[in-house]
Amino acid sequence: MSAIIDTPGVNNRLRVLRAERNWSQADLAEHLGVSRQTVNAVETGKYDPSLPLAFKIARLFERRIEDVFQPAPLDGALDASKETP
Amino acid sequence: MNPGTLSDSKPRRSSSAAFFVVPVVFVAAYFAARAGIESVEPGSIAALGLALLPVPPFAWLIWCFVRGIRGMDELERRIQLEALALAFPIALLVAFSAGLLDLAGFHGEGNWDLPRLWPLLLLPYWIGIALARRRYS
Repeated sequence: MSAIIDTPGVNNRLRVLRAERNWSQADLAEHLGVSRQTVNAVETGKYDPSLPLAFKIARLFERRIEDVFQPAPLDGALDASKETP
Repeated sequence: MNPGTLSDSKPRRSSSAAFFVVPVVFVAAYFAARAGIESVEPGSIAALGLALLPVPPFAWLIWCFVRGIRGMDELERRIQLEALALAFPIALLVAFSAGLLDLAGFHGEGNWDLPRLWPLLLLPYWIGIALARRRYS
């Protein structure tokens, strides 16, 4: 139950991908059409981007969206899977 | 209210100018109305016109604010939403508390006049903005 209610959050590789291109947060923000604070908040996991923005990021880095964003591990996910027949 | 000031994003110059001009126009209209109402007969058409004088500038202010929010990116919109979610109920609380206090005979200085309540109405918005920015920075 708690696994459904709790928002698990999203991990991302944005900082790594950005570093590979030697882009600053401001550079990436300009490419995405968002503020530098938004890039920083996404990178640090304080803000989960919308689906359109996540797709835009993935497209910009020429990756699949799941290569950039992964669901954070759920607490109790193992227990929940045990309950599933 | 200051949409567009959060970030390094580049708000349109016209909307930025509007955010300086429109509040000034509204405040000028408000004080012109206040000054004018005292010099006309209460209940007259002139008094009605003067009382409603600040409405068009305030409608313009709302339109500019909404347009400003539409021009923001998604995190900035989230921050505005969180700030307004705090500010709006508190503004209602202040408004009806002032009304009830007035009914209860605690008239306060100037009968809880709007200019005296403005800081109380705006303060929660600024606090909400500060809290939301801190949360996401």
